[in-house]
Amino acid sequence: MEQSKGKIGIKEFVAISMIILSTKLTDDTPAILYEKLYNAGWMAIIINGIVTILPIFLLIRVITNYQGKGLIEVTNQLFGRFLGYIILFALWLGILAATIIDTAIYTDIVSSMYFVKTPTIVIYGVLMLASAYGAKKGLEKIGSVAWTVFPYLQVPFLIALILTIRHGNTSFLFPFFGPGEWTIMKESVMKLSIFADYLYLFILVPFLSTAATIKKGSWISLFFVVINLVLAMTSFVFLFDYNSLMQMNYPFHEVIRTISAGFITNMETFFFPFWLIGTFVRFSVYLYINALLFGHLFKIKNFEYIIPSLATLIIFIGIIPDTPTFTIFYLRETVLNILSPVFFFLPCLMWLIAKLKGDFKHEKANQ
Amino acid sequence: MKKQINRGKIIIYLIPLFILSGCWDQREVEEFAYVIAMGIDKPKDDENLIKITYLIANPESGNAASGGAGNEPPREVISFKTDDFVVSRNIANTVIAKQISYDLLRILIVSEEFARDENFIRWIYDATKEMEIRRDAKLMITKEDTEKYILNNQPKLETRPHEYFQMIIERGNETGMTPTSDLTTFFRITEADADLFLGIYSTTEKEERSSNPINPDNFKAGEFQYGGETNNTQFAGSAVFKEGKMIDVLTIEETRLTFMLNPTLTAQEILTTFPDPFDEKYRIATRLTKNGTEDIKINTKKSTPSIDVNVPILVEVLTNHSMEHYAKDSQKRKTLNKSFEQALEKKLNELIRKTQEEYKADPFGWSLIARKKFLTIPEWEAFDWMKKYPEMDINITVDVELGKFGRQGDIPKLKEIRD
Amino acid sequence: MIKLRKSVKKKDKEVSESPKQNKETTNLTIDPSLEQTLKIFREIYTVPTNHDVIIRNLSIPGKDKPAAIIFIKTITDPQIIEQNIIKPLQSSTEPFQSIEDIVSAQTISTENNINQIATKINNGNVALFIEGEDLAFLFDASNFESRTVEKTENENVVKGPKEAFNEKAATNISLIRKRIKSENLVVESAIVSNESKNDLFIIYQKDLVNEKLLQNVKARVKSLDTNAIQNLSLLEQYIEERKYSIFPTTLYTERPDRAASFIEDGYIILIMDNSPDTLIIPATFWSFYHSAEDHYLRLPYANFTRLLRILALFITLFASALYVAVVTFHAEMIPPDLLLAIAATRERVPFPAAIEVFIMEIAFELIREAGLRVPSPIGPTIGIVGALILGQAAVQANIVSPIVVIIVALGGLSSFAIGDISMNFAIRISRFMMLLSASIFGLYGITSIFVMGLFYMLSIKSFGVPYLAPMTPNYISSEDTIIRRTLQKEIFRPGYVKPKNLKKRQGEN
Repeated sequence: MEQSKGKIGIKEFVAISMIILSTKLTDDTPAILYEKLYNAGWMAIIINGIVTILPIFLLIRVITNYQGKGLIEVTNQLFGRFLGYIILFALWLGILAATIIDTAIYTDIVSSMYFVKTPTIVIYGVLMLASAYGAKKGLEKIGSVAWTVFPYLQVPFLIALILTIRHGNTSFLFPFFGPGEWTIMKESVMKLSIFADYLYLFILVPFLSTAATIKKGSWISLFFVVINLVLAMTSFVFLFDYNSLMQMNYPFHEVIRTISAGFITNMETFFFPFWLIGTFVRFSVYLYINALLFGHLFKIKNFEYIIPSLATLIIFIGIIPDTPTFTIFYLRETVLNILSPVFFFLPCLMWLIAKLKGDFKHEKANQ
Repeated sequence: MKKQINRGKIIIYLIPLFILSGCWDQREVEEFAYVIAMGIDKPKDDENLIKITYLIANPESGNAASGGAGNEPPREVISFKTDDFVVSRNIANTVIAKQISYDLLRILIVSEEFARDENFIRWIYDATKEMEIRRDAKLMITKEDTEKYILNNQPKLETRPHEYFQMIIERGNETGMTPTSDLTTFFRITEADADLFLGIYSTTEKEERSSNPINPDNFKAGEFQYGGETNNTQFAGSAVFKEGKMIDVLTIEETRLTFMLNPTLTAQEILTTFPDPFDEKYRIATRLTKNGTEDIKINTKKSTPSIDVNVPILVEVLTNHSMEHYAKDSQKRKTLNKSFEQALEKKLNELIRKTQEEYKADPFGWSLIARKKFLTIPEWEAFDWMKKYPEMDINITVDVELGKFGRQGDIPKLKEIRD
Repeated sequence: MIKLRKSVKKKDKEVSESPKQNKETTNLTIDPSLEQTLKIFREIYTVPTNHDVIIRNLSIPGKDKPAAIIFIKTITDPQIIEQNIIKPLQSSTEPFQSIEDIVSAQTISTENNINQIATKINNGNVALFIEGEDLAFLFDASNFESRTVEKTENENVVKGPKEAFNEKAATNISLIRKRIKSENLVVESAIVSNESKNDLFIIYQKDLVNEKLLQNVKARVKSLDTNAIQNLSLLEQYIEERKYSIFPTTLYTERPDRAASFIEDGYIILIMDNSPDTLIIPATFWSFYHSAEDHYLRLPYANFTRLLRILALFITLFASALYVAVVTFHAEMIPPDLLLAIAATRERVPFPAAIEVFIMEIAFELIREAGLRVPSPIGPTIGIVGALILGQAAVQANIVSPIVVIIVALGGLSSFAIGDISMNFAIRISRFMMLLSASIFGLYGITSIFVMGLFYMLSIKSFGVPYLAPMTPNYISSEDTIIRRTLQKEIFRPGYVKPKNLKKRQGEN
């Protein structure tokens, strides 16, 4: 009676990728962008969105070429055992660092904006408990949950957006080019890794129902993620203007604290649960990918079982930094800067090797 | 299975511990004293302290469901010196039994004296750090000491303080007699360092004389003469802030004119009077509304930048004391229209002269429009709007459109009645 | 514990590997000697101690041989025995007429295994033994006492049929046959217990049902090893996958129309004697959420009630938990007037809000449980006493605040909108979990429990069908989930039960 074999369809894939990328607008990503880009931070998203097309296109080209294989297998095949292992290990370190830093940030958001007196470790624990529980259920369940909750995340987000724009002033978008065109280009490309999650999503290719899923799914989600992020980022500017915005740690949470609708004057607690749901789903995916890579690197077949220990490890590393709001802010920026070139050049390299090896011709001959 | 049961047991025992201990962020609503308004003053003798006045609401007042205790007063006021309004929450507990909560804090009241102080901005920025103070709280300036203001402010009917403040501020906005004055706008304008910020101005002290006997509309809080048995508090006019420091007070009329010129502000219904062009003795009551958005053209390229503003106004004539039949006479309507335009333009030009000469900055939010002329922020900041504003060449035109003439357009001819 | 019990039972069986009668009869066939046969049966049924087992000797004039019939008086129809069996037998004179021609009973079968014969007799057959014949003739004359077909009691509808199943399997099957007049409808029977020999009927449409699913159900039924399964409610617990799960995985309905519509979609239903219900396999979350009336009402009305129901579901789950979370953790989100009102009413309440809500919730559950168990004449009285007096007095005594009464009553009332009793319990239990997490972590707790619950719910499978199918994972279906579409657009059978024929009809397009 095994009817579904842990594969996810296009709906679930799009929901997962949209949730893990769109939740970034609620953490300190906007703050990182606005810090250097004044009121033009939102442009970085558009520029990065356009630049991201190339790595995604190459990834799709390379990976769909090897049917049913994901990033892990293809890397091994293209770079050989040893080099492939090193690359995958680096990728694993990247996602582990990202998971630790991001969970620490989200914990910091909860503890600094909502639960001021609750000990950080308890908040961290609950966050990782829920995420690890989800991750342990496997990708299919994560996909299903993502798809189930997705509309209920998007609708409150749109409500928040409408309220923000109603309270805001479009003139704050000007001067249009913020710190100047070149600064925007340079700073944006440095933060390309905002979209680096796509690289990791290609690990999941073997779990997708068809090859077309990753192709269509990536494009659809990239399109809507860019729209989501740009709308949100511009609405922050509408509400606060660049001076105030540049000083904020978590603009999204300041926004939902400021807007009001009718007799409900304090709306942040209304949006809080929806944001949390997105957060849990996001870290479930991160944990799952972490475990998947870890399992591959250290030859653990039932990698789902290491998720709880991984989550515990993350908690203990995550609570180390003092004054997380700032320490982690810089750590995150560093990780973003390191991951950016990786995200851009790895797919190019893969494509080049595949080309040189003549793997593409092989495919054409088959057709 | 046994293990499972044991784990279950442990959880079951632990849960009541959490609930009953009331730990961390858990706190019951009735354990708070809700501060509705907070007054901030500068004590005369000490430079490094501020004086805080809390207006605390009594939830039990006027609540039928609670049963008994109907005689308790609706509010409680405490005033004391402290370092800032963050630590003051603890100090207040030497007197107040419950934990101080800023959850319902909707209005920050600052005395004019403190607002005019150089150091005011240092303390007001604490509000961005304090978790419970919201950016949409209102900023209000009082002529007198805030403690005195809060004590004297005793509404007769809206005895619940949060209701009173919410209503009167909302109404002031609608009629254009007081500005919106959000905390977030205050921070924004102060940080942008280009425009002036307008705060709500209020007082409980009546001045004995009327400053402008010709126009009864043109007064600010304290100058309104009224009798009867009601509250002493007046909300009228606005406090002008330049670079986070108060510099002057605008009257009601000036505030309303600012509403007309400022694209970010809208007043829903301004009822005001104009001199009747047909008979100098009388004044015509009108309802003014913005008729579309004002057309603001700014040229920053010239050596003396210029601003051309066209304000479209819809005027509804509500009274007709000279008993002239302008409703049906297009010639007379034209005269009326022209006289309104002239009157408005004159007043607006006066206001602009005042801002250029006296304040040397504009409260109209025009810098936001000027920003569109620049491509990058460094260029814009180099332009320095506030410095350039006093020399700018500003032209105001008003475009009046006459709307309805009251419910009944016509009135009987005076001559026929007196015949 | 359960394991222990099982092993004890096994041992019992081995030790007492059937008293005399079993040993003798298991493989015994009938002796041609009537006397010998009757002796065996007297022993089996302990006649004459056993009061309602009748052994009547008679002679068939045509054959000129002594004969005897055995039947159980209380489960057979005397009319049939008298008119169709005894009378024709006694009045037959033709020597070469076969028994089939003499007796005018509806069904006649022959059997020579004593054990089998006994089973038949236990099921209401009349056994005829004739001297010199080594087999028995069995005539069906069963007449078990049962209710007549009555109105539904739990799944009431305003518009639509009102018949309900009763405790007699034959009637129930007849009610289904009445709705599906098709030669493809198969009623298979199986015996599910060793000692009481309870019959189970597996009903499905052979041109629709998925073979794998059918094999799965049959395998599970076959693997049962128990002495007795009285009815479906017990069977349900034997065949379900997750015994500790709070979510039900089989749907229990008393409505023949609902059962029939599920059969038409390729589901399998189970019927047993003594159960005024059927068990529908597999079941998804949606089948619990839907009610029979949803398809009888016109589309806008149906979807209106559906939306009300989902609202009720969420109110039941979250109302009290949200109150506790908001009042103890997030007071700032309440509008000032309401916040002050809550603070004022709570001023004199001695308990924390969480405890207060727990007290009221438990009181409400008590009233509900008591209302179910009290004899029906005093039922309403208890309800009034419980709800009115208790609530009112508790408020006046400052034990709880009036707002809590409203919240709990609202949640309680909403819980009745979920008709299915299993799902109702599931939601009510989850509500307490929500409440607990809310009192520890506020909205953070509620959300984490909710997300974990969602993960859990999605990981449930009912006979291989994901619990929230077809919403996720996606399957071809008529998309009858939260709201339904017009009947004309419902052209597919649910893809997740993998019916042999997916399309119900040609669609509009």
